[in-house]
Amino acid sequence: MFGYYDDFDRTYQLLDAFRNELGRALEPSRAVAGGTFPATNLYDAGGALVLTAELPGVVEKELEITLTQDVLTVAGGRKLGVPEGYSVYRQERPPFRFSRSYTLPVKVDPEKTVARFENGVLEVTLEKAPEVKPRQIDVRPS
Amino acid sequence: MANFDKVSSRTRETVSQRGAVSPRVDVYENERELLVIADVPGAPRDGLTISVDKDELTIEARAPEAAPGRSALLTEYRASDYRRTFVLPGGIDREHIDAELKAGVLTLKLPKLEALRPRRIQIRTA
Repeated sequence: MFGYYDDFDRTYQLLDAFRNELGRALEPSRAVAGGTFPATNLYDAGGALVLTAELPGVVEKELEITLTQDVLTVAGGRKLGVPEGYSVYRQERPPFRFSRSYTLPVKVDPEKTVARFENGVLEVTLEKAPEVKPRQIDVRPS
Repeated sequence: MANFDKVSSRTRETVSQRGAVSPRVDVYENERELLVIADVPGAPRDGLTISVDKDELTIEARAPEAAPGRSALLTEYRASDYRRTFVLPGGIDREHIDAELKAGVLTLKLPKLEALRPRRIQIRTA
């Protein structure tokens, strides 16, 4: 009885599904092939630089973070495979291996660099070198 | 396979919702369960909502806002929420869905109802 409308629904469903697939395919920040990987943000937090990168499924121990002068290099990856005994319906999550270097805009203090990996996001906090830290100048009362 | 497509009803958003992206998902099946694995980097455990409504499974994950007091020097991603809905096939034991979050990867185990699992029939020797 409602077959006529069902057909419309079905068409819109297909369009929606198509739009979603297209959105995913074109989403630049989550691209893996080509482009820059991993997706990274870098912030200036006053006394320190904070770098964050999305690395879901990476084993923390396998992340390599090195700092040479003003170049920070992060390397790692994840292996993925079909879990044993399962058949595959869809596989959108890619395995990856990467090494990316970042040239930092200011000098940092290598002794005071801290990295943590939480919920699949790497966060590296790089304390700025004393000579480039913002300094507050008090105004002397006259 | 066909009934694992997303449905349009859930792609309609309410105005109060934050923007959300579709997480990348793997789906596997064996004779005991369906396995749904999603990349949700940045989403903490308490930001996760997994719900089953009628035959729809919805995964939602809220990622925290960026810390204030920072100025961005490079922005290649925005911490966004995740949302994705699947139509479940029949015969899933909804009471025993198991979810695990590890290193930004959500693993959902959806067991099949006991009665619907394939059973091996022993052949009696006469």
